[in-house]
Order: sequence, then structure tokens, then C-alpha cells
Amino acid sequence: MDNPLPQPAAAPPPATWAGFKRGFLPAAALSPGNFIYGVAFGLLARQETLSVLEAMLMSVLVFSGTAQLTAVSAMSHGYVGFDAIASITAAILLLNARYLLYGAALWPWLGSAPTHQVVPTLFYLGDASWVISMRAHAAGERDLCYVLGAGAATIAPWLLGTLTGSTAGSLLANPAALGLDFLLVAFSASMGIGMLRARPDWASAAAALVVSLVVDRLAPGGWTIVAAGIAGGVVTYIRYVPK
Amino acid sequence: MSFRPDFLPFLLAIAAASFLCRMGGFWFMHFVRVTPRLEAALKATPLAVMIGIVTPVAARGNPAELAALAVIAIVMRFSPSDLIAAMAGVAVVAGVRFLSA
Repeated sequence: MDNPLPQPAAAPPPATWAGFKRGFLPAAALSPGNFIYGVAFGLLARQETLSVLEAMLMSVLVFSGTAQLTAVSAMSHGYVGFDAIASITAAILLLNARYLLYGAALWPWLGSAPTHQVVPTLFYLGDASWVISMRAHAAGERDLCYVLGAGAATIAPWLLGTLTGSTAGSLLANPAALGLDFLLVAFSASMGIGMLRARPDWASAAAALVVSLVVDRLAPGGWTIVAAGIAGGVVTYIRYVPK
Repeated sequence: MSFRPDFLPFLLAIAAASFLCRMGGFWFMHFVRVTPRLEAALKATPLAVMIGIVTPVAARGNPAELAALAVIAIVMRFSPSDLIAAMAGVAVVAGVRFLSA
């Protein structure tokens, strides 16, 4: 518990084009998956009445697959007014709470870098580029542009996929037949199974399950996700046993 | 190419939420330390959120969705790719709907 706070080096980390390329290449290998995910988001966005421009803006400004799918899926319950906006914002804060950890883990590396370099680096961070970067850092990588390069490699296929999907969605007569309204549930189920396999936190999962059943019965809509997320986090917090 | 003005608050709110999560952890490290207990709780939230997304759909008990969830579990058993499993699930939903239409 009392290990000291990791401190960044006094001198800012190097930020070079070579570092950018070193980060870009391993993350670019994941492009096909990012592209397909982007296409799927674009198709669903069109189905939920977003224009191509609106879908693209969302991919540029939010840049988070699960958050965007959640937002777009919730739009059929309404997207105007305080309640709709508050529930989806809370859901996304919980869904992306893991980025708090990602950022904290990058602090020893990027802590002494200037703000104008840190902000874009963190903004275009994704799950995969974070994992790739942390692995590189453990192997001795210190160039700030490595993280930026890994993030940049995921932007292009994500935007291209969004553009392709939302354009194609405009041409389809009945996109519901594609089953894309099920996309968020499908991704949540498969990622959830993967997470349970990696870290079987059954008490937290059970709490989330019970709370979602109850809240879904009482107040269906976006708040079910929020309540489940809080329940799972709180149970893990309370039950935590220091090693 | 169109943009609805009433879509803007929604878009800005979710963009801000996403931005806050990305900057927040890094910024907080100026002042506090993420304790192992807090770290465990933060790591547990995405799974809990995903359970909150899946449960209401499963509880409604439509055959197409239940069959798809079963297929996702089976695919995840044999493949580490959540993308492949999710696409298989979407395909099952589309297939069952097509057959029952």
C-alpha cells in the first residue's frame, strides 16, 4: 500500500518522428478490425437516423467504439432534453472509467511533457494503443510520440469505416434486417465474456446482473447501464482484499 | 449531409464525457494516488456496464437474441476475438429474423 508515488522524469520525454513511426506500425496491424468495427458503427448510426456528417463528427469527437454504440443505441429513447442527455453521459463516464486508469498509468511517462503534447496524445488513446504503449514502455520506450503514433494508427481505419458504413447505410432499404440494433449487445456480451475469463470477478458481475434486472423492471432505458456499472464498481471496492 | 441543431447538445455531452475520462486520470495524478482498491473498482466498471447492456435484452427473452447470445458464448469459447464473436451474434439475429419474417 505504501509504495511511493511514481514520479515522471524531470526532463520532458523525447518527441520524435521516429518514435511516432515505432508506435504507428504495431497499432496499424489492427486496422482491419478497427475498419470493420467502424463500418458497423456507421451502419447503426444511419439506422438510428444520424446523417453521414453527424456520424463522422461523433467518430472524430468521441473516438470510442463502445461509447458511440451506446450513445447511438440510446437515441431511439430520445436524445433531446436533460434526462436523455444526463443518462447517456453518466453511462459513458462509467463505460470509459477505465481511461482514468490508462491516463494514470501513463503519468510516469508523460507527466513532464508539455500540455499541448499530452492532450492530443491522451485524446486519441484507445484500449489497444494503450496496451501496445505500456508494453513498449516496459521494454524501455520513452518517446512521447510512440503513444501518439499508436493512437493515430487507429484513427484512420475508424473514420474510414464510419464513412463507409454510414454511406452504405443510406443505400440500404431496410437496415434493421442486418441485425445491427443487436450490435452493442453482441459486443458487450463477447467483451464481457473475455473480461470475465481474464479476471473472474463473479461478485461484481452478480451485483451488476441483479441491479440491472431490478432497474430494468422499474425504470427501463439508459439508467439501467449506469446503475449496473456503479453496483459492480462499489461491490469490487468494498470486497477488495489487499494482497 | 445534414446536421440537426438539436443533436448538438447530445453530441457535445458525450464528447465531453469521453474527454473527461481520457484526461481525468492523468490530471488526478498531480494530486492523488490511485490506490489498489480504487484501481480494482475502476477496472470492474466496464464489465458491470456491459452486463447492464446485455441483461435487459436477455430478460425480454426473444428467440433471435437468446440464440445469438448462446452463439456468442460458444464462439468466445473457441476464439479469442470479440469482433468475430459479435459479428457471429449479429448474423444469427439477422438470420433468425429473416427466417421468421
